Amino acid sequence: MRSSQEAILAEMRRWGYRFVVTPTLESVDVLGLGLGAEQRRRLFKFADGDGSLLAIVGEKTIPVARLAAGGLRSAPLPLRLCYAASVLANDAGRFSNRRETHQAGAELIGAAGPVADAEMIALAVRCLDAAGLRRYQVDVGHSEFFKGLLAGFRLDPQVEAGVKSALAAHDFVALERLLATTRLRSAERELLLRFPALRGGPEILDAASRLVGNRRSEKALEELRRVHELLGTHGLAALVNLDLGAIRDFDYYTGVIFEAFGPDLGRSVAAGGRYDRLLERFGRPAAATGFVVHLDLVAEAIGRSGERPPLPRLDAAVAWSAAGLPPALRLAASLRLFGMRAIVDTESRSAAAAKLWRVQLGAVNLLHCTGEGRVAWVDSAGKAHRLPPEQVVGRMAGAVM
Amino acid sequence: MSDTRVSIALCTGSLLEGSLRLLAAAGIVQLDVKQLGRRLLVEKGGVRIVLVRPSDVAAYVDFGAADLGIVGKDQLWESTGAHYELVDLGFGGCTLVLAVPDGSPLRGPETWPPVLRVATKYPRATAAFFARVGGAADIVPLHGSVELAPQVGLADAIVDLTATGTTLRENRLRVVAEVEASTARLIANQASLKTRSGEVQSLVTRLARAVAAR
Repeated sequence: MRSSQEAILAEMRRWGYRFVVTPTLESVDVLGLGLGAEQRRRLFKFADGDGSLLAIVGEKTIPVARLAAGGLRSAPLPLRLCYAASVLANDAGRFSNRRETHQAGAELIGAAGPVADAEMIALAVRCLDAAGLRRYQVDVGHSEFFKGLLAGFRLDPQVEAGVKSALAAHDFVALERLLATTRLRSAERELLLRFPALRGGPEILDAASRLVGNRRSEKALEELRRVHELLGTHGLAALVNLDLGAIRDFDYYTGVIFEAFGPDLGRSVAAGGRYDRLLERFGRPAAATGFVVHLDLVAEAIGRSGERPPLPRLDAAVAWSAAGLPPALRLAASLRLFGMRAIVDTESRSAAAAKLWRVQLGAVNLLHCTGEGRVAWVDSAGKAHRLPPEQVVGRMAGAVM
Repeated sequence: MSDTRVSIALCTGSLLEGSLRLLAAAGIVQLDVKQLGRRLLVEKGGVRIVLVRPSDVAAYVDFGAADLGIVGKDQLWESTGAHYELVDLGFGGCTLVLAVPDGSPLRGPETWPPVLRVATKYPRATAAFFARVGGAADIVPLHGSVELAPQVGLADAIVDLTATGTTLRENRLRVVAEVEASTARLIANQASLKTRSGEVQSLVTRLARAVAAR
């Protein structure tokens, strides 16, 4: 999991995202500015000495938004920020008994429009690639498509709330029953029941625009069309599906949303989208989009695929005997200066025993010091040399670089 | 399941026969209870059938070990699953009722004490019901033999599932309110609908048509 996290953060840095560290504890009132009732319920809460209610953060977008609106207030927009952290939820999740999960994420704050949306999706895909995940796909949708649809029907507010909660629970049986009690025409009812199946290539955008007659949904379709084109330019057309039925967190997302589904996991490994209304709650109105990668799930998917990530390469095992310890320590220090990974033995070992030790460690090179002067070096090809330490370092560094 | 077969979780017990009949009517797979015997996993006709306890169907589907599942709605009341509930399959009907001993004075909500003590295997559905009708209940969660609770003074009333009412009558209990109604439902894993939409969607359509044709 650690190696996936490092690979993902390295990719984010390549895209110019700055790593930020945000507090693990926040006041419940602050977190509450950005959370729905259900998410607030799941926070680990406790009181400090003054009786103020604190919570351990359950996700990182809100602390990052708070940072962008607070500590980074004078930094010009757009801000590209990334993080990796564990978050906690005060109930066992739907999928496991883990209350602590690990996440890495990126937020692009202060940029609106399809170019920013496409950047976010492309970055998410590249991060999953970098982590070593294979065979996944990305579903891209738009939260405004459904909102436009629903607004156009002018339902009774109570019914509308029912429709939203049935859809949030993915309960299409309840949805159908609820719609049967309304005065919606059958074509409209059919549209609400069928739109979750509107999924596929760009052709579904044409199909959908024939079905809807409201400006808000049409605008969503236009944006999706543009994002899909841009993702083609990013070289990701084959991975991306358009999914107009994607509906998550109605009140949070305000535009293009996406989710990446790993092989055989039964749930998404990464998810994100546009949330243009969050930053204003912290006093710095700004468009924003972001995503989170669930590192535990990525590790699980990679583990299941049987492709164990390779152990980190160990460049040198530095053994010593007799008066060889001081030169061994200096030698390892020089190797590390060149960015190589080196382990110095903790006990004296004969040349023969050192060969076994190197195999156990899986080190590329074995170095053996017996005193000041020449070093016995067995290189990656198994060839033995006796050279002064500077020359060993020079040749090994040359081989690495 | 990296397998190409779509897997369907069915529950053992009263819904099994109806589930197999529906799969046959939809032209998906012909199996009868006898053929299954004691097997828990059958691969036939391009699908994989997994037989599990009713309370486990949703877990198999939520975790992606099965793409689809057929399960009673009563099993879904108590858990917030991550699956899609797609079709009311119409069979396996039963009702969750509030029942009191024959001799009890309790009838409609106006006759209930300020806090009614209720024993049930369905604490969430029960709590939702009392929130809906505006009464207060002290819920005693039990795992079985709920009918016994009022007879030994553990509760004033019970909330339990009934299909024919026989068990209630045998235990001299009388229904005072209907809490929920249940039938078999088709549920689907959220990722299966997306990552294997072709195969899974076609099965869903065939099942929905078979239900509509009845």
